[in-house]
Amino acid sequence: MKEQWRYLITNNLSAAKNMAIDRAVLVANSEEKVPPTVRFYTWSPPAISIGYFQSLSEEVDLEKCKKLGVEYVRRITGGGAVFHEEELTYSIVIPESHSEIPKNIMDSYARICGAVIKGLKNLEIESKYAPINDIISGGKKISGNAQTRKLKTVLQHGTVLMDVDVEKMFSILRVPNEKIRDKMISDVKQRVTSVKHLLGNTVSFEKAASAMKRGFEGEFDIELIPGELTDYELNLSDEFEKDCFSNPDWNHKR
Amino acid sequence: MNSKSIYKIPGGKLVKISLEYDENNNTISSVKITGDFFAYPEEAIETLENSLKNTEIKKEIVLKKINSLISSNNIEFIGLNAEGITEAIMRCLQ
Repeated sequence: MKEQWRYLITNNLSAAKNMAIDRAVLVANSEEKVPPTVRFYTWSPPAISIGYFQSLSEEVDLEKCKKLGVEYVRRITGGGAVFHEEELTYSIVIPESHSEIPKNIMDSYARICGAVIKGLKNLEIESKYAPINDIISGGKKISGNAQTRKLKTVLQHGTVLMDVDVEKMFSILRVPNEKIRDKMISDVKQRVTSVKHLLGNTVSFEKAASAMKRGFEGEFDIELIPGELTDYELNLSDEFEKDCFSNPDWNHKR
Repeated sequence: MNSKSIYKIPGGKLVKISLEYDENNNTISSVKITGDFFAYPEEAIETLENSLKNTEIKKEIVLKKINSLISSNNIEFIGLNAEGITEAIMRCLQ
């Protein structure tokens, strides 16, 4: 029988809640309270997440966020700023010691991205891993990924771009120099693509999630069993949301 | 004195340095290392920043100090390295 992992779908949550859930699942898994878990989720309202090492005020125009109703949050993972609007976000939590997870961090990025690549293939999209942490299709980025390892547990989360509004994204991101904003927008348009752009039509979240689910099952030769967050995880995520991800001390700490 | 620099690590990520330094002694008063790189464990970046205080701003000295902190704190960088941080710090003086 195939190994069974937990499958979660949580739609339309706030930025702080989404990041709190990923961390809560990491803690619960590290304490062997829950199995390895794959979650697909969306963000509502739209949000910008920044990497752990980034400076919030240098990367994000906070006034603009307020005006547009865009939330912001600092992740526990490194990497760059991401505008989460039309996308499917995934997260996977699994013990570092699991036989399916390479010990080497770069190798494990490639392995987990393999699941996303299989998922995209289920949507008839050919793509490949582009180190350090991207997946590209036709030479353009369709997915960005970020991993942390804490409590002997791996958390990797990442995006699958369903559609992309580069102008809106850049209206929220700070650029080093206003004169080059237009140039940066056109550069990013050249470098980024989306499921909608590649297929010529909108794909529903449900269809994309189903394709990705089969991608993870195929890559890791496991079965994803639909489940729910446990009460323990819900309590933890409330705590993390309050103390960390919606706390200015955390979000502004760098 | 305060100074900032942005440096793209060859084959890696962007590192941004915000440096406060003592001109008389040519030492680091405080340094912030930010950017879209990865480091494991993440919290080690704060240790690194704190431990760089009072370090003389000379390329070999800064590099040696960072390398020794990487090894004593078991830091693994992805998209960043000791040479890149050193280069970015040195560029704050230009």
